[in-house]
Amino acid sequence: MIRLGPASVRMRAMSDDDIFSSRLKLLIIMAKAYLSDCPLGTYRKKAVIENANHVFYHSLHLVSESSTLKDNVFEPQTEIGSLKKTSEEHLFHQRVQLLAVMAKALAEDRLRGHFRKKALIDNLDKICETLIFKFQIRDVNFLKVA
Amino acid sequence: MNPVNIPNVKIAVIDDDLMARDFVVTVLMYCVNRDVLSFDSGLAAWRYIEDYESPDIIISEIDVPGLNGFELIAKFKEKSPGKKCLLMSDNPANEQPARNSGADAFLAKPVSVNDLFDVVDTFVVKG
Repeated sequence: MIRLGPASVRMRAMSDDDIFSSRLKLLIIMAKAYLSDCPLGTYRKKAVIENANHVFYHSLHLVSESSTLKDNVFEPQTEIGSLKKTSEEHLFHQRVQLLAVMAKALAEDRLRGHFRKKALIDNLDKICETLIFKFQIRDVNFLKVA
Repeated sequence: MNPVNIPNVKIAVIDDDLMARDFVVTVLMYCVNRDVLSFDSGLAAWRYIEDYESPDIIISEIDVPGLNGFELIAKFKEKSPGKKCLLMSDNPANEQPARNSGADAFLAKPVSVNDLFDVVDTFVVKG
């Protein structure tokens, strides 16, 4: 029997945050695979659209949750650091939502043209910079077969 | 490029946690570019297997209603020896019983994208 996943001491039920970060990672992989010309079959397209929808709405939910929390704080947030962090988080979620829209467009064959692809690459780079996440397409060679 | 070892692979995912199950289904559907069966209980999965067909691979959470993961893979292995059974759990105490049950793999939760890529690489691509 092979064993996959975290060590015993780190095992736990999957939280909403686990699902969101895993789905975001999957969305990044899907976009990078598309840019590397991995073929998109019917079910892959369906999976991309489903995943993009999940990430988009979860990100919207997280943004509205954090703004509700902010609205409920009676003391005004005057600390510059805190404001900067909120703004960075907001920007990150806007980029994630944009990535979801782009991923949906690529699955529906609407992401055409040099500048749209460049915009996708730029957006992916900014998100990956934030996540400090590096993905190497050679690790998933099986994606090259549809 | 790796050849696909199980063409038109049919995979079933069983978990009563909808969010986790949908995530696993999305990753697998994307990887294999095939439809992936999805059930919220061991009993529903077993009824499907009896009435319709045996999937090539089942990936079941251990603590699911109806038939639990151990009971499901025992029945599945009896009906379809040679097919692959993978068990998932967030409870470390389930690992040894999973080994004893004859499962081909144990997926510790939280399951990551890379773990599921490894599943496809090991059981679908390499066979």
